[in-house]
Amino acid sequence: MGGGAALEGDGKEGKKVPALPDLFTWNEDGVHLMSARCGSCGTYFFPMYHEQHKPGCSREGIEKVLLHKEGRLASYTIQYYMPPPPFKTDRDITPYMIGLVEFPEGIQIAGIVVDCTPDRLKMGVGMETVTFTLYRDQEGQDIVTWAFRPAKS
Amino acid sequence: MGLHSWGKFPQKTFVDLGKEAIAKALSEARIEWKEIETICSGIYIWGGNAGHLSGQYLASVFGETGVPIVNVYNACATGASALRLAYLSIASGQVDVALAVGVDLSPEGFLTAKSDNPRQDRDVLRWRMVGMPNPTYWALECRKRMLKHGTTEEDLARVKVLLSQYGAQNPNARYKKVYTVEEVLTSKMVCDPLRLYEVCATSDGAAALILCAASKARQYTSKPVTIAATTIGSAIYGDPTLRISALSAPAKAEAPLLSESYSSSQQAYRLSGIGPEDIDILELPDNSSWHYLQYLETCGFCGDGEAERMLKDGETKIGGRIAVCPSGGFSSFGEAIGAQAVWQVAEVIMQLRGQCGPRQVEGAKVGMAQTYGLMGNSGTTILKV
Repeated sequence: MGGGAALEGDGKEGKKVPALPDLFTWNEDGVHLMSARCGSCGTYFFPMYHEQHKPGCSREGIEKVLLHKEGRLASYTIQYYMPPPPFKTDRDITPYMIGLVEFPEGIQIAGIVVDCTPDRLKMGVGMETVTFTLYRDQEGQDIVTWAFRPAKS
Repeated sequence: MGLHSWGKFPQKTFVDLGKEAIAKALSEARIEWKEIETICSGIYIWGGNAGHLSGQYLASVFGETGVPIVNVYNACATGASALRLAYLSIASGQVDVALAVGVDLSPEGFLTAKSDNPRQDRDVLRWRMVGMPNPTYWALECRKRMLKHGTTEEDLARVKVLLSQYGAQNPNARYKKVYTVEEVLTSKMVCDPLRLYEVCATSDGAAALILCAASKARQYTSKPVTIAATTIGSAIYGDPTLRISALSAPAKAEAPLLSESYSSSQQAYRLSGIGPEDIDILELPDNSSWHYLQYLETCGFCGDGEAERMLKDGETKIGGRIAVCPSGGFSSFGEAIGAQAVWQVAEVIMQLRGQCGPRQVEGAKVGMAQTYGLMGNSGTTILKV
């Protein structure tokens, strides 16, 4: 299916603030989703504050984990409507793409796809975690969420 | 059983709808209100405190009698949970006559988050961070299926075409227009690969069922419909489905897709001794065309990847191997969360009684109603005559 102009990912300028804390972070290496792993049953979960375990697990030894910044596209969809509140943005983002990305840790996570056209959405392609500005607040800060874009490598 | 037809009724309250469904059920069963020994009511989540106490509100209209009233919520399996509770109330020997009722008036537009605390409500996260309405989840699973099983756009359209033919003949349906494959394939793309007519709407509606102990049933009717099993299933660890509300799922499947519905249907088969091969009618939750195809497999009506062929070969038509959604399904009715599972059972009952006119499944003896619910819950009811 065709679509309009691709949503643009964030550049370097401006101060970025996550729309909600403890979901993703960034360092020199790039943007990483914040997951956690149970030391007993090995289950990865996201967000890290919504625990999940195998039945019978002792639930001991939970560690916070930054997921690899890259994964593979496991599914995708193109949305032809504006997401309703509580999604908050300051512009029309339709049509927007949502991808499900499989990380090497064995967990799939959904996110908005940016810097991409629909024809580049192919199952299995490498995707990189980035940030996406939802809106600029009154203090001039960019309020961001996590997003995915086709990996350069 | 009694129904309030499905549609949009902005001038009505949930009590208006529920009252009509209950009044019809009482009159149809020839049972007096005072004979009802317990009320199991689906919680109407958009109705504030009143909606959470829907059973009490409805009881006060007919006259309070002091019987146990319990209100239950299990997302789209809310009605199935009310029904199971009514069934268990009788099976336990505590009562002989029970009322199960479900009512819903859907809000306009998308069904969105009901709290604003992301720490405890995943719904907040999915809306705020990704902008993911329910059909997004269905589209992601549908795309996976297309890659795995080669499902085509025509297969998805064919579901709507078939169901629209039944909906057109069902007086209680909201949508009564018959569609062609071409009309569906040129309808607006909503969440690629799913088009407008391949995703169900949200509706208002109400349904009520009166259950009675088998030992007493013949006091009221010469042709009782028997509940062979009514079950609730929850998800199984390792289910790879990206479940509505969640933002993550395991990459490696260690349990079946839609494991909550697999669980409820397997329980029902085991408890009833009835298997998919014995079932004449199946009301499944066709929230989208993907659901129609996937549920045939999840509930064991065909093997992995065979649903498209079943549909194409006419095996799921009235007169085919198994009549799937002869009511017209959610495709013709739309979702009414608290009411739909009770309504599905009511549709099966009408078929088993031979009351469905032009969309009657001839000689139907066994029927199954299957739900699907957000956050991993599901219900199955198998009925027979």
